Amino acid sequence: MALRAAVLRHIRLPVQTLTATGSRPQPQWSFLRLFSSHDDHLTKEEVIDRVLDVVKSFPKVDPSKVTPDVHFQKDLGLDSLDNVEIVMALEEEFKLEIPDKEADKIDSCNLAIEYIYNHPMAG
Amino acid sequence: MSGATTAAYLARRAAQKERVRILYRRALKDKLNWAVHRHLFYQDASDLREKFEANKHVEDLDTIDKMIAAGEATYDKWRHPDPYIVPWAPGGSKFTRNPVPPSGIEIVYDYGREEND
Repeated sequence: MALRAAVLRHIRLPVQTLTATGSRPQPQWSFLRLFSSHDDHLTKEEVIDRVLDVVKSFPKVDPSKVTPDVHFQKDLGLDSLDNVEIVMALEEEFKLEIPDKEADKIDSCNLAIEYIYNHPMAG
Repeated sequence: MSGATTAAYLARRAAQKERVRILYRRALKDKLNWAVHRHLFYQDASDLREKFEANKHVEDLDTIDKMIAAGEATYDKWRHPDPYIVPWAPGGSKFTRNPVPPSGIEIVYDYGREEND
């Protein structure tokens, strides 16, 4: 018995790691674990669609000009206070709580989409 | 005015603008806390926006500072005692409700089986 244990301790078998066989495309920067109940994060297209909808339904914005890399103040001609209002609308849409300093930095659609996509609690 | 566009002036203006933006954000959230129904909130939000827009063209740094201080005092006075905070955020109801258990602890599923089986 002790010999068996000693032999087993010394033998190492190579472990075949299972490679993901292209069943789901995994984005590089996501920190979600596949095959768990936590893989209900939003996809990037959903985030983009919803963010653009929120921005388009803002009364001071011309909907035809809104693209995923539009800058709120430079391209859409909005005010800094309008920026604050848009960020608040995004917070309400995705049920997030963005800290004040972070919310101040969100200036364009790009930043908003990136922030929301990388937020673990984005609804 | 001397030092119209020096770096210190611009830095101070930028800091003031940031304070104004953060104040506007907090005041707007506060308005939503007080006026739960959307049509009342839209009314209050436009009134708040009018107040901010009326003072938009002030140039003198000290007046701006005084106005920001007065605005922050008004905000402190009108703060809602029980604001709505998203549940998982600090201050919300779900915050640290179910913390992650420390590593190494796991549940042993032996279904009450005795040890000498």
